[in-house]
Amino acid sequence: MGTSLVLWGIAFSRNFIGLLTRPYETSRRIVDHGKPGELIFVAIVLACYFALASLVRVASFRPFLLTREFIELVFATSTTYGLAVLLFWSAGQLVGAHGKQKGLAIMWGYTLIPTLVWFLATSLLYVILPPPRTTSTQGVVFSLLFLLFSGVLFFWKATLAYLTLRFGLRLSLTKILIVLAVSLPVLGAYSIGMYRIGIFRIPFL
Amino acid sequence: MTTGTYQKFVKRWEEVTDLPPQTLGPLTPYYKALTRRLKVMPWPLLVIFSLLVVVGLYVLLGSAVTLIVSLLQRGF
Repeated sequence: MGTSLVLWGIAFSRNFIGLLTRPYETSRRIVDHGKPGELIFVAIVLACYFALASLVRVASFRPFLLTREFIELVFATSTTYGLAVLLFWSAGQLVGAHGKQKGLAIMWGYTLIPTLVWFLATSLLYVILPPPRTTSTQGVVFSLLFLLFSGVLFFWKATLAYLTLRFGLRLSLTKILIVLAVSLPVLGAYSIGMYRIGIFRIPFL
Repeated sequence: MTTGTYQKFVKRWEEVTDLPPQTLGPLTPYYKALTRRLKVMPWPLLVIFSLLVVVGLYVLLGSAVTLIVSLLQRGF
């Protein structure tokens, strides 16, 4: 178990660097050779973020409220992850995908990294520079930089999501667009539900 | 070439050719030119895309972009 953990840790680090520098080749490798154990490290980083986010959201040291918030976030994120994988897989089957569900699930786990980076940075900025932003020069400059940062992460996420469907389901661009057209409205409705019950205002996809 | 190396090569070749290259009719050269830059070190291109969106938003909304950011900052 110890040796496996080290090996998964090394594979995770290698894949993380690969997704930053060579996303195409790395995504193909993750889908074909990735191990579910590598996602333990994604889960650990996510758990650290949820602990921090619970503190920021509850804004007081009340163990019961903090634990409840933490469990809510973990449950909501696990459900969203499972739903996304299931939706992409089912929609893929409709258009004749012949990939591997395991590869798709592992690669989609890796695509949570840009989401996590954005949520982590936003939580920290919420503490350091709480909203609302003003229309002063500093406010506008900060807003433009924040949007630039968000945009870069969004496009990185979009690239990784595309590669997940391309290699995980072995689909062409046209079929990927069909899978997205089927899945995104469902994920959109689910996200609205999450927003209504106050878990995530922006979906943690 | 040793048998082991050859087998590795064949396996890799099969992996790479398993998925047919993406084509987009007359747009294929543009698609290839774009994706070539996204395959290795995509950051400069991602920054350019994002910059275009931000400039577009600023031209469209002016200082009201601060409202979007205020909403996004409460979004976690």
